[in-house]
Amino acid sequence: MLLLLDILTTAAILFVVAIGLLAVFGVLKIINFAHGAWLTIGAYCAVVTGKLGLNPWAALPIAFVVGAALGGLAEYVIIRPLYRRPLDAILATWGLGIVVGQLITLAFGRDVQLTPNLLSGTVEILGTGYSAYRLVALVAALVIGAVFALVIERTRLGLSARAVIMNETLARSLGLDTARVRLVVFMIGAGLAALAGVLLTPLTSVDPTMGVGWLIGAFMLVMVADTSFLALAAACLVFGAAQVLVSTFVSPVLGSIAVAVLAALVLRISPKGFSRA
Amino acid sequence: MSTRPLVGALAALVLTASPVLAAEKPIVIGVPVGLSGANSVVAPSVVQAAELAVEEINAGGGVLGRKLALEVADDASGAAGAQKAFDALIYQKKVDVIIAMETSAARNAGLPAVTKGRVPYIYTSFYEGHSCNKNLFVNGWVPEQQVPPVIDAFAKDKNAKTYFLIGSDYAFGRGMLAFTRAYIEKTGAKVVGEEYLPMDGSDWTAIISKLKEAKPDALVTSTAGGAPNVTLTKQLRGAGVTLPYANLAVDEGTAKSMGKDADGIYLSASYVTGIDSPQNKAFLAAMEKKFGAGLRTPNDLSVPEYEAIYLYKAAVEKAGSTETAKVLAALPTVTATGPRGTIGMSKQHHAPLTMYLGQVQGDGSVKVVGTFKDVDPGEQCPKLD
Amino acid sequence: MPETVPAAGLAAARASGRPRLARAAPLAVALLAAMALWVAPLVLDTFAVNVLTRSMIYAVLAVTVDLLWGFAGILTFGQAAFFGIGAYATAMLLSAQGGAPHWMAAAAALAVVAPLLLGLAVGWLSFYHRSTPLYASVISLVVPIVVTQGIYSGGERTGSSSGLVGFDVLPLEIEGFFRLAAILLVVVTLAAWILVRSDAGRLLVALRDNEARCAYLGLNPRRLQIGLTAVLAGVAGLAGFVFANASGVVAPENAGFLFGTELVIWVALGGRGTLVGPVLGTIAIDYLAANLSGDLPFLWQLLLGTAFVAIIILLPGGLAELARRAVSVLPLGRRAAAPRLAARPARAAPRNEAPLLSVEGLAKSYGSLTVLESIDLTVRAGELVSLVGPNGAGKTTLMRCLSDGTEPFRGSVAVAGTATAGLTPNRIVALGVGRKFQVASVFESLSVAECLRLARAAHEAPSPLRRADILGLPQPVLDILRMTGLDALMAEPARLLSHGQKQALELAMVMALEPRIILLDEPTAGLTKAERTTIGTVLKGLAADLGIAVVLVEHDLDFVREISSRIVVLHQGRLVLDGTVEEVVGSALVRTIYAGGAHA
Repeated sequence: MLLLLDILTTAAILFVVAIGLLAVFGVLKIINFAHGAWLTIGAYCAVVTGKLGLNPWAALPIAFVVGAALGGLAEYVIIRPLYRRPLDAILATWGLGIVVGQLITLAFGRDVQLTPNLLSGTVEILGTGYSAYRLVALVAALVIGAVFALVIERTRLGLSARAVIMNETLARSLGLDTARVRLVVFMIGAGLAALAGVLLTPLTSVDPTMGVGWLIGAFMLVMVADTSFLALAAACLVFGAAQVLVSTFVSPVLGSIAVAVLAALVLRISPKGFSRA
Repeated sequence: MSTRPLVGALAALVLTASPVLAAEKPIVIGVPVGLSGANSVVAPSVVQAAELAVEEINAGGGVLGRKLALEVADDASGAAGAQKAFDALIYQKKVDVIIAMETSAARNAGLPAVTKGRVPYIYTSFYEGHSCNKNLFVNGWVPEQQVPPVIDAFAKDKNAKTYFLIGSDYAFGRGMLAFTRAYIEKTGAKVVGEEYLPMDGSDWTAIISKLKEAKPDALVTSTAGGAPNVTLTKQLRGAGVTLPYANLAVDEGTAKSMGKDADGIYLSASYVTGIDSPQNKAFLAAMEKKFGAGLRTPNDLSVPEYEAIYLYKAAVEKAGSTETAKVLAALPTVTATGPRGTIGMSKQHHAPLTMYLGQVQGDGSVKVVGTFKDVDPGEQCPKLD
Repeated sequence: MPETVPAAGLAAARASGRPRLARAAPLAVALLAAMALWVAPLVLDTFAVNVLTRSMIYAVLAVTVDLLWGFAGILTFGQAAFFGIGAYATAMLLSAQGGAPHWMAAAAALAVVAPLLLGLAVGWLSFYHRSTPLYASVISLVVPIVVTQGIYSGGERTGSSSGLVGFDVLPLEIEGFFRLAAILLVVVTLAAWILVRSDAGRLLVALRDNEARCAYLGLNPRRLQIGLTAVLAGVAGLAGFVFANASGVVAPENAGFLFGTELVIWVALGGRGTLVGPVLGTIAIDYLAANLSGDLPFLWQLLLGTAFVAIIILLPGGLAELARRAVSVLPLGRRAAAPRLAARPARAAPRNEAPLLSVEGLAKSYGSLTVLESIDLTVRAGELVSLVGPNGAGKTTLMRCLSDGTEPFRGSVAVAGTATAGLTPNRIVALGVGRKFQVASVFESLSVAECLRLARAAHEAPSPLRRADILGLPQPVLDILRMTGLDALMAEPARLLSHGQKQALELAMVMALEPRIILLDEPTAGLTKAERTTIGTVLKGLAADLGIAVVLVEHDLDFVREISSRIVVLHQGRLVLDGTVEEVVGSALVRTIYAGGAHA
């Protein structure tokens, strides 16, 4: 039971972290290597919220707005010129990540930051106390997933995004302003990354390099999921389970590289990853 | 914070330019530290401690009539950066000695440089032990000194019979816990689990679940400093772990950034700000006066830096010169009295130290709950004696 | 069968003789550089000598990254891992065994072989039929992460996070190590330079430009990419050996993913695809970092990051591009001369009546959508078969199934009696099938002559050392070139050709393969009337004179009527008619189909 909860909550956290990256990859066909930096930006929004004495939960909307706004700027200045050069976009966004990290360092210093607690304590489940916050993370993942699905399936934006994913040239010839769709989707992706950053604060240290550790895992999950968010959910469950099981029964050290290695092998065997199923 | 080294360099410049010194070249102390990278949280406090020591010594007439000057360089907390920093200090700045707190990788990367460049090197960080080089002296603690106070206290006060060990997968983490396990087993208690996560790992879920399953009497952790330590502690507290918890890698500053998650953690150190001695009080007052609002809390990594400069002064005065061979001969024989007490690096290039068992309080301060006089570093470098 | 260049061609080439000087230029520059670096330690201070020793070793890695990324288009972060393995292999062996000469030699060998083997494995993982460049980059990210983790977990043997120090090294002073690093750098750069200037070197660029075209020229892109990865992993390992000796210490970060990205940053700033740019860029940035970063640790990173982003966006060619632009203002520019054309005797193609291409019961579907159904088709030598049918009839899909055996389909396809199921395009090319795509598929960065040389690469391996003065091509290719006027444009980069010229070039490339069957997908699309006529004449000649079987997809019915010996009509995935021009043109069915609305 404990194991199952560990798997579910681990998958939930992976999903929350990776969903923004997936949105960007799906529509823009670009890997945003500054994703880690946006996680960090989100977490620092939580720090600032705490310093201003606001309710810790207020950090969620604040981070989303700040992340999206900065994301819009980044899209306009850096991503837009590189649509036709996806490998260069990886490099440019990686460089952007370095720049953001250094700017945060210059502004806040290198120190680990204290963030207000979103929720502490444990919940009694089947005789053992389980971290209440991890359960919240599970709920958060479900909510984000549901909202994401609604937006994709039920809104004009979702429709446009799906059109661009399927066939960008056709979408453009049908009079869709694809540049605008890309901008909006990138902003949403960046906003989601920042949101994930806030949700991570009770789980990890908040410092200028905190995002990098999450980047590779998220990146591998998105590669496996391709452009489908259901496939992402499946990938998070499978690889989250692999991570927890390997960590529990073999070694946590192997567990921590399990996602990257397994995802690479899955892609080798089935290049379309989980999205084909 | 990034302006600190500039200020340091400027201070050095001003000092060298003052007329008293025109007669003779200053003695230059090289301080390679991790201004960027993993150590950049603690590095500024180390530089401040060095600046105070140099200022005090110069105010007191210098060493052998010569002033001291500091040269700070960034080692980026790693091997590649350390190679550059050591080369710059030894060959460009022509330093007479290197006195610094660094990561083990950076220290190792510096060893070939000090050997080739024939410069004494005083390493002022606690570390996993057994780093031996004829140019290297250490005045920070090693596992043999830090671990026994904690385990003894847990055995005595908490009646702990079973332990769980958690660490980051790197030299310090593994080295500390290997010694801890050996020591626990020697005292007749049992280790019921020992788990590691990579240094940059951020998900301790599985390990924490194993810990809860094992139901030990006490927990000992030895992670990489800073981020991994904070991450582990947050997740431990989130999972409701309230065991007696000794954290071998926490310092007062990190404890503060953990907020109330740090409450009740035991730590073992050769320095805590709460040491009740006139030397410590004078030191803290001088730091406060010199740095004011910009003061970085002195800690177990910065105070040894301060003291090591005094140790070097004593060695140079005894040797009557800054010549490397003579200084190296004098270093194990001299002592200096500082905030941590009277210390000499007399035991195989390592120092017997007084260790303090502390417990983090609700407000983030550390209360001394036990004092252990002159703990021996044990057999570190038998070939060097 | 040995192929011979007509004596006249050879003599002409010799007479025109490109100046030997130009060919010796790399050697001369390398010699000068080596001499300068040999005396450099005498004038530089110890600090500079020490720092530059490491910078030069890093520059060796930059050269390997540039070959992979700048030339072959494989963006890699993995060179750091191979470097680290070389360095650790050296340090671990020397720690355990001491530095006796034979152990030193063993360490050097191990430092090359271990990364080379891993490079083979990584190459196998990264490159397979239909792998994407992004996937290769992903793997190159995972490799250093796994290797670093291995080092951390290695305990005493690898020194974990502290690295290894205090092992025996080569008995050299710091000047000696400087010279060793300098020699390594000069040799590796020179070798790389000679390679990229050679005919074989154009293969790297071809891989970057158009991997599919390489495969359809009968080359095995996978083998080339895997081989390149492995060899350059070995070179990186050798650099690791020198590094371990020169610095006397190895650390996990030497193998890490961050170092891998740093290498890419240096190469990008210096100018990818220029070799000299990355070398100078790496040395300059690393040396500058040693001098500046101590004073401004965070600002330095910020500046480097900003410069990197700016260069990637605004100046993809890096600083070398800037320098090149500056120099090109001066009246020094010269374009490399094109090789002379020479005729190769045509391969005697056995002409018999056995079908060259036989398709039986071919069917293909995407999910529930059936695209092709029970297609039976036989094509013999000398036939010119046109596939016609409205859009969506499955013509292009059929072409794909004929030229790529890994395409999932039911039924069977055989070329000259050999079943093609499961064969990758390059192996089908080896059976004598040439394919021309709908959108002209050539190598945009290469000149016309280079494109044609690569089309011959499967027959005669291009030299990795030099550029041949003569380009031997089968007579039909020369005819195509002459008729389309391409023979006057041999030195022209393919990207500057007109649409029609590109189509002609691709056809010439396909013909240079000396195929027995050619598959052409709308060869006349977008061409002028005159160009169409030319192509028609060429095709008819190929079929009639050389007995080549031609299968083409065409919309222009007039064109089809003019040239075809047989016409096959596809409609809604079925083959509805297969007959002579007269039969098909006269068919009521065809008229209905083209009028729309027919449901056969």
